Amino acid sequence: MKLYHKESKFRVLISLLMLLIIIVAMASAIGSANIKVLDVYRVILSKMPIINKYINVENITDAQFAIIWNVRLPRVILGMMVGASLSVAGVSFQGLLKNPMADPYILGVSSGAALGATIAIISKFEYVKYGFSSITLAAFIGAIVAVFIVYNIGKINNKLSTNTLLLAGVAVGQFFTAIMSFLMVFNSNDMSRIIYWTMGSLSGKGWNPVKTLSIPILLTIVVLIYYSKELNILLTGDETAKSMGVNVERTKQIILVLGTLLTSLVVSVSGIIGFVGLIIPHITRIIFGPDHRILIPSSAMVGAIFMIVTDTISRTLISPVEIPVGIITAMFGGPFFIYLLRSKKKMM
Amino acid sequence: MNIINLNKVEFGYGKQKVLKDINLTIEEGQFLSIIGPNGAGKSTLLKVINNIYENYDGNISIYGKNIRDYTRKELARIVSFVPQDTYLDFEFSIEELVFMGRYPFQKRFQNDGKYDYDISYRAMALTNTLEIKDRLITQISGGERQRALIAKALAQDPKIILLDEPTSHLDINHQIEVLELLKELNKKQNLTIISVLHDLNLASRYSDKLVLLKDGQILKSGNVDEVLTASNIENAYNTRAIVELNKFTNSLFVTPIELKKREKNTSFPSIHLIAGGGSGQVIISRLLKEGIDLSVGVLNVGDSDWQLAKSLKIDMIEEKPFSAIKDETSKENLNLMRTKDIVVIAQVPIGHGNLLNLEMALTAINEGKKVIYVKEDDDKNIDYTNGIATKVIDELILKGMIVLNSIDELMNYLENYRFK
Repeated sequence: MKLYHKESKFRVLISLLMLLIIIVAMASAIGSANIKVLDVYRVILSKMPIINKYINVENITDAQFAIIWNVRLPRVILGMMVGASLSVAGVSFQGLLKNPMADPYILGVSSGAALGATIAIISKFEYVKYGFSSITLAAFIGAIVAVFIVYNIGKINNKLSTNTLLLAGVAVGQFFTAIMSFLMVFNSNDMSRIIYWTMGSLSGKGWNPVKTLSIPILLTIVVLIYYSKELNILLTGDETAKSMGVNVERTKQIILVLGTLLTSLVVSVSGIIGFVGLIIPHITRIIFGPDHRILIPSSAMVGAIFMIVTDTISRTLISPVEIPVGIITAMFGGPFFIYLLRSKKKMM
Repeated sequence: MNIINLNKVEFGYGKQKVLKDINLTIEEGQFLSIIGPNGAGKSTLLKVINNIYENYDGNISIYGKNIRDYTRKELARIVSFVPQDTYLDFEFSIEELVFMGRYPFQKRFQNDGKYDYDISYRAMALTNTLEIKDRLITQISGGERQRALIAKALAQDPKIILLDEPTSHLDINHQIEVLELLKELNKKQNLTIISVLHDLNLASRYSDKLVLLKDGQILKSGNVDEVLTASNIENAYNTRAIVELNKFTNSLFVTPIELKKREKNTSFPSIHLIAGGGSGQVIISRLLKEGIDLSVGVLNVGDSDWQLAKSLKIDMIEEKPFSAIKDETSKENLNLMRTKDIVVIAQVPIGHGNLLNLEMALTAINEGKKVIYVKEDDDKNIDYTNGIATKVIDELILKGMIVLNSIDELMNYLENYRFK
């Protein structure tokens, strides 16, 4: 079921995009308030310049409008960004490190972010600027610090050694997690808040993170797509890639930096949402094959769809209680992935 | 025309030098194989030429330009590289893999154009991979994968193609297939081929020139017959070998002899062997394997035992081809026997020409020398002297010659031999 030709690749991407647009509206409509899917599009279009003149929103109540525009949509779009970012980072890391176990957190981003968030929570230093809490900023800094340490360990003679990098990621990650646990022991009244943060959530973030993060995330994904040919060639081995004219060291560094940047940006806002960055790349690869030129954009969209769907489940399953979305991603994604793995084996 | 020049190239990991003072010129259209024992630096030399290993000393130029002055993509348009034993875990089709070879010619986001299609399809046609182009590289045989990798290298439209042991892990039919393909490309497209090859016989059969490496240095380079000599091989591999012309392939054929040069084994007695006509070959090889101090004689030049002893550089008394043993030669033989602990007689046919060998053994036994007769086949008639030889043998037995029925018994006897 692999798709080789340019036309079919294009068709796949267009279909995924259409699906995404439909899912966005459906997810915004589902919930305790009675909202029609078409109303969601009306609300979105009414916010667009020029087109808004032709859009009639009179039959939508102010309350419905506010729920769609201020609560549901920013959440759905943030989910889209988080899912896309984690999937693209996962795809890039798996390809670059040639390791199917690689995920966006493999270089210590998650542990760094978690430690940063923990410090912010226990220090009670609540501070919000431009819509970002001190927790978000601390998590971002923690993630960057962790990855910076891992890079410098993994860099030998100015070359990145894949194995050293992976091991350093594990070691630094464990170290940071240990410090986090240590801090939690002494601040047991903050424990539940910290644990809840580490399980990841998209609730109640508003438009601010979307506004700030969308452009850097979009740019990073575009640049990674820009490097998709190199990622393909790197799969044939570093030496072969060099002989084919790829600047291996520089390409590796750029992809690693961009992937961790992508991950750090979304983790600091949403907490550690597991599974997406590991499994969506595999699912997309099983369906579309290993060519990164189609793999990166399609996994961005599949990841976005998956994230929106699981987040919708997490807030509606036992409403009004919200289940951390990381639990849902693993609970629903796991069996589906196993099903795909098995059916792929049968095909061979 | 010289297209590749290596001048005083040195390369090492840390302090250990893997390549030392390599000077080499390679001409356009050559099929050059790099041979040498494991760890001699063969693959390293190949990778240095392709600037995969960059921190070498000395100078390498390709088409007159230092390879450090090429960008990676520029170099990739001239030289392509087929790595050893590529394990590809990702499910690209052969076609997708081959098209990757167009990378150095393409700009970013540039899709494959008509020229890219033409050249990639030609590469697949040449390597017979066109009909399997949609198969996944994880699901094809080693030979097919090797051809696919060569197709990818050809899609780079190179002037020079470097291969790192393209035949390792392949069955003999695939080995020949790959090398025939390379030879054809070499002849028809005037492609310069530089290949590391493990198999000396394949190297001799397909290459124009050889480079023999040992411990990171060029031991010998040049035409096949200049490089592939018994003494060069012994020097490089520490293994004795027989080099002869294979009439079928019309190329030199190397047969390594199982033993390595080693210290004479003094726990065994020293031996003089009387043989001839191939009767001594197995005994010689078994004795040398144990490192036993061995001499043979008298043998006629050209005799098959003589050939073996000659190529193994065994101490030997020779007689002219097809002529009877002369008295003087026989005396020499006796003198040699006197220096050894034991005289072993193989089941050699005895005629008037070599009867003197038996008589000298009789002299030796009379002088107190131990003599062993290895009579492997009871029914075999070896007497071509109307009974004289049989008489001598009977007398030898009377004087205490030990008769053993197999080479295993001989080896067993020698192992338990007690020096006086």
